[in-house]
Amino acid sequence: MVDAQTITDNERWAGIYKLLDRNSLIHPEFEPQEEIKEFIQSCKILVIGAGGLGCEILKNLALSGFCDIHVIDMDTIDVSNLNRQFLFRRADVGKPKAVTAAAFINKRVQGVTVTPHYCKIQDKDEDFYSEFALVICGLDSIEARRWMNATLVGMRDEDNPDSLKPLIDGGTEGFKGQARVILPGITSCYECSMDMLSKPTGFPLCTIANTPRLPEHCIEWAHILEWPNKHGERKMDTDDPKDIQWLYETALARAKQYNIQGVTYSLTQGVVKNIIPAIAATNAIIAASCCNEALKIATTCAKNLNNYMMYSGNDSVYTYTFEHQRKDDCPVCSTSATKLDFKGDKTLEELMDYLKEKPDVQLKKPSFAVGGKPLYMQAPKQLEEAMRPNLQKSLSELFSSGDELTITDSTLPFSLQVIVTFV
Amino acid sequence: MDAKTQKYDRQLRLWGSGGQQALESAHILLINASAVGCEILKNLVLPGIGQFTVVDQGTVTQSDIGSNFFLDADSLGKSRAERAAELLGELNEDVSGHWVAKDILSLLTENPSFLSQFSMVIASDITRQTAEKVSSLCWTNLNAIPFVWVKTVGLLGTARVILPEHVIVETHPDNVADIRIDSPFPELSNYAKSFDFNTQDTLEFGHIPYVAILLKYMDEWKQEHDGKIPGTYAEKNQLKANIRSGMRSGDDENFDEAINSVLRSCQPTVVPNAIKAIFSDPKCETLTAESSSFWILARAVRDFVNDHGKSGGLLPLSGTIPDMKAQTDSYVTLQSIYKTKAKKDVQEVSNLVYIILESLGLAPGSIASEEIETFCKYSAFLKVIRYRSLEEEYTLPKTKQIASWLSEEDSAFAQYVLLRASDSFFDDHGRYPGEGNDWEEDVDHLHANVATLLQSWGIDTEVISKDQTHEICRFGKGAIHNIASFMGGVASQEVIKLITHQYIPMDNTFIFDGARSVTAVFAV
Repeated sequence: MVDAQTITDNERWAGIYKLLDRNSLIHPEFEPQEEIKEFIQSCKILVIGAGGLGCEILKNLALSGFCDIHVIDMDTIDVSNLNRQFLFRRADVGKPKAVTAAAFINKRVQGVTVTPHYCKIQDKDEDFYSEFALVICGLDSIEARRWMNATLVGMRDEDNPDSLKPLIDGGTEGFKGQARVILPGITSCYECSMDMLSKPTGFPLCTIANTPRLPEHCIEWAHILEWPNKHGERKMDTDDPKDIQWLYETALARAKQYNIQGVTYSLTQGVVKNIIPAIAATNAIIAASCCNEALKIATTCAKNLNNYMMYSGNDSVYTYTFEHQRKDDCPVCSTSATKLDFKGDKTLEELMDYLKEKPDVQLKKPSFAVGGKPLYMQAPKQLEEAMRPNLQKSLSELFSSGDELTITDSTLPFSLQVIVTFV
Repeated sequence: MDAKTQKYDRQLRLWGSGGQQALESAHILLINASAVGCEILKNLVLPGIGQFTVVDQGTVTQSDIGSNFFLDADSLGKSRAERAAELLGELNEDVSGHWVAKDILSLLTENPSFLSQFSMVIASDITRQTAEKVSSLCWTNLNAIPFVWVKTVGLLGTARVILPEHVIVETHPDNVADIRIDSPFPELSNYAKSFDFNTQDTLEFGHIPYVAILLKYMDEWKQEHDGKIPGTYAEKNQLKANIRSGMRSGDDENFDEAINSVLRSCQPTVVPNAIKAIFSDPKCETLTAESSSFWILARAVRDFVNDHGKSGGLLPLSGTIPDMKAQTDSYVTLQSIYKTKAKKDVQEVSNLVYIILESLGLAPGSIASEEIETFCKYSAFLKVIRYRSLEEEYTLPKTKQIASWLSEEDSAFAQYVLLRASDSFFDDHGRYPGEGNDWEEDVDHLHANVATLLQSWGIDTEVISKDQTHEICRFGKGAIHNIASFMGGVASQEVIKLITHQYIPMDNTFIFDGARSVTAVFAV
């Protein structure tokens, strides 16, 4: 066992220190300073997610010389994680990801301390997030990304440089992925690019109920229609193999009835759990890209990504690097209201459904107010019941064309200001 | 679901059990347990390759543990090969790891056929001399062994794939639907005609499959236009208008689907040029008992296509159709019409395959029926990549192409030139530029190497600035983990594509510029 003190930073970080000790003619603004090395060692850096991307990010940051790393993840380890989440072993199945990942890194890399937080990102407040110099996200949900983005953008105060928390966000799916750098209040933010997201696949209810054609239709029938029929109030547990087996057999029976081929256990799981294929290689590429940016931002040794890199690996290896533009009326990072044209004779409920579906809005349970006066509130229960009739009223009954609506949603820490013009 | 299927579920959805089997049969050699080498292996051990062997004569140093996750403080002073193999092996209990603490050149001197046992060779941190030797042995092996050579230098990374030929059937194109609106086979036309466009039942009308709608209007068009399908943009718009006029309500989704498919359907179904090239390839023309199943199958499909009576001059029908607004039984019937024709085409091709096998003295079961079926399904998307060897790269440079690459603004090819020049610098000095403390003194020498290389290509030496050369010296061949990890991801993914023969590998040199966060692929 080698004494930790005999390991010298100058030797261990030789590759990185060459960048930090030597000037560059390509980046003449870079000034080698000892303070930079001290900064890497002392700054606090936050990793969101300890899954496919998170494991890679933790490893990369530890081997970049960062010593004080925190990681948040609310999940526990599953067998299907083991093909890529390399900080976990079979014996770890069931344990919290954040805790297990932190322990592995702490043991493997001398001098680093990874502090785990086994909880949701929403469980932490602004005081917590303001401690960090940089945040790197390896999340698998749009909702979580929006929340994190809005929180960090909301925290930014132009008069306080410390309040600027660079957010580096990575995402992967099969052979594709992207990495982006968000400087809250300066560059485009996550919300600015919501319209880039593809619409999630859903099947029309009438197809599922009456005219199934694909094996997926049979599976969704078993999932959405037959399950409540046979199980009443009991919610399905998509992680329980017994429930998936029931779904599979039920879907298969329906498929046989209609002469439809292709229902398998694997497809059943894939459809109800919305499984996204994942491999180690793609996660490695995107996580490395994110951490490369983190090191550049923390040290200024080279220019950081400005600000989006898309990656695709199924046909050759292809990346596209571009500067995503801020949206003028972004509800998170800009102050101006969004403009919306809508028929005045449509009901508030119809407006609500429209906003739920619209890709760049995607609200879950919106509440509406105009000029400070509530129109419909999702909570508390008594208020919701009292205001429910408003859902059936036409917009022109509730407010005037050109009024500014304030729309809030419990999943998002920001409000949407929308000026509605009747058409 | 058994334990292995559960573990590999997320990747099986990409390459299936066939791809997984190929991985599990593979034995991969890693030359040098450098940071990037181990990152590549990590991404191969996790998905379950059969075996790996690490060859490395070095002992673990402090700078090793600073850039390599698979070497730790306990490993200091020990064999790099042994410790890396151990820590990598921990990642997956289904994988067997081996190690040899020797230098690869000595190993090859002792045992010239050492490489033959491997299905893939990966090397990092080797000199150009060693790369040329290893590459040549892999290339000329009885069954050529794919060789992937990877380098990282500061914020730069590069990977080169070297093998004589790589064939792919399962390229996984975005769309395999083969609807043949322009050239319907008889069973399809007849079924389409069976739909009643005059029905008063709105449900029935609203569920006529768009394929039947398109065929009806296309048929009418052909009758009025000498048997031809719409060719010009105006004609295609007219066809759309014709279909629109048949709509009863603004909401007829099936008619909308037909209108949206007009442009695609007016592209005549043909044998793509890339496939024609495969058909006229010498390896398709001249078959022997040693021919791979790919070329035998290509020949069978070629013979099928050339027999117009059987094929109509077209490739085997893929049998896949997209979902569309339709009643269940009409969709299922339509689907089975396509599937039946596809099966018939597979049967015809199979007969041709057996004839060829017999003429070569091979058993009829030499090529499994699933393989024939898959080949037919993807026959429009086959790919053959012929790579240039290292020798060709060095002795037969594509000077015109190189000049073109370098003429682009901020060309990533400049990094290729600088890395090549660094190899020449090593030949001159026995070390890489910037490795020592007097790093700036190496700039002039390296720039001279750059100039020599550019001159040998007949290119103006001004295209690479001294500032760029200075930056390579600044990097000083340093190993930076993030770059190693990025390249580890890219190289391992290419290795997986090569082993599984699925998805399309790059041809042939990949460059990652971590300073500018851009990448490029060059077929040098």
